[in-house]
Amino acid sequence: MNASAISLPHGHDGHSHGHDDGHHDGHGHHGPVLQYQPGLPLSRGKLIMWLFLSTEIMFFAALLGSYVVLRFGAPVWPKPHHVHLSEPIGAFNTFVLICSSVTIVLALEAARANKAGLAKLWMLLTLLLGTLFLGVKGYEYQAKFSHGIFPQAPRSRIYEKPDLYYGSAVRARLGEPAIIDKLKELDDTPADQLTAEQVSARTRLQQIRKMVTSPEQQAFDLAVVADQVMPLPTEGQGGSHGGGGGGEGGGHGGHVSGLNDIFPWLKLPAVIPGGNMWASTYFLLTGFHAVHVLVGLIVFTILLGYKLGPKDAGKIENAGLYWHFVDLVWIFLFPLLYLF
Amino acid sequence: MSDHDVHSAHAHGPITRAGDMPAHDDHDHAGHEHEPGHDHGHGGIGKYLLVFLALCGLTTMSFLTYSSVWPWRDQPHVGWAFMMAVSCTKAMLVVLFFMHVFWEANWKYVLTIPAAMMAIFLALMLVPDVGMRTRMVSQERALHMARTSDVRLMEQAAEAKALAELAEPAAH
Repeated sequence: MNASAISLPHGHDGHSHGHDDGHHDGHGHHGPVLQYQPGLPLSRGKLIMWLFLSTEIMFFAALLGSYVVLRFGAPVWPKPHHVHLSEPIGAFNTFVLICSSVTIVLALEAARANKAGLAKLWMLLTLLLGTLFLGVKGYEYQAKFSHGIFPQAPRSRIYEKPDLYYGSAVRARLGEPAIIDKLKELDDTPADQLTAEQVSARTRLQQIRKMVTSPEQQAFDLAVVADQVMPLPTEGQGGSHGGGGGGEGGGHGGHVSGLNDIFPWLKLPAVIPGGNMWASTYFLLTGFHAVHVLVGLIVFTILLGYKLGPKDAGKIENAGLYWHFVDLVWIFLFPLLYLF
Repeated sequence: MSDHDVHSAHAHGPITRAGDMPAHDDHDHAGHEHEPGHDHGHGGIGKYLLVFLALCGLTTMSFLTYSSVWPWRDQPHVGWAFMMAVSCTKAMLVVLFFMHVFWEANWKYVLTIPAAMMAIFLALMLVPDVGMRTRMVSQERALHMARTSDVRLMEQAAEAKALAELAEPAAH
């Protein structure tokens, strides 16, 4: 330690050592002696973490700013229940992240108080809560994917408006050989082997098959087709769904009548006005946030390999700073994405 | 590394907290962590739990705008402003107490204020090009863009469907 300090005369330690050793005998104790202070008064790890976090602030500010600006500049933006977002699930995830923020702070306090076992316990709990958050996020993503909401075109089945392009996309899907076979199979199934809902849906499906191929098709017909495939739930339905179906989640409350929901193999194109831009921003924002959560989980896993005594408090503090920042981003993401 | 940290923290003492500790001390400080702002640590757990409860309460408050109890459901701007205020409060609580910024020395302003200002400018500078992009678009683009009329069309179709479903049992 000393050797390395002396070999770096301009280094931080070298300076303080030289100062102390040189003046200790001569001056004795004359109260505080001013020292040259190269840098901010905090440990280097923490300084680097804060510098990193200040770049992260700008990173997420750019993403969130773009989202806000895109959202309020767009002529139409889907309501949360149009895109199968469940507010109670989002609120639950917010709660999970807040809890994990508390547990990491408690881990730091325990480590400082030399309670390594307790620190490990809090750290493990933080890890579990972070994993729970990602699990819920994955469940939410699955609800989007199952409705054909993807961020990009080949997989995304979302159309902006019920126009001719939409009509031809539905026609193309209904003309695919696999779907033709399935439709024939469905048509040949005796009615008593189907539920009442499926029978009614089969009739509606036959109607929309006629509508998209009809030469006398009207513009309004395509809106009816789009509504049959995946209806946009109205405000009332969305509210009752959120109030009553919190546990059920996934967004099935008002959508059971959609043909895509009743026959999952159908996978017809659906219309959500503004849905594509919504999907892009939603997956970008929550995806980058989820990546940050994942990095945090990796850091916690590594930290669990340490003793987590007072010597490791600095590491826990830095990991905690990062984790609180991730929590901070979600604090803004939750209302912006789920409640606006 | 931790040894080194202890030394540097020791060297920082006189600058960050003049009078908190003697300027000259022995180097045998390894047992005691000299984190700047460590003095808040004693009895801090109660504080953290208080902040946690406040955060939970604030989350419930912003969730309230979604429930039917919220009196301004027909004026979304009220809810948005309220939620942003709640979010900023939550963010402040997390930054000040969980991230210990409340107890830090003045370096905190050096790092946070420029970053925050640049973040705000960044968002503002997106407005003309990105936010207003739909005001000046080509006719072709406008043709394919979703509009509020499309939402209305879908709602009308939904009503028509309801009518058709009412008629359906009669047809069978």
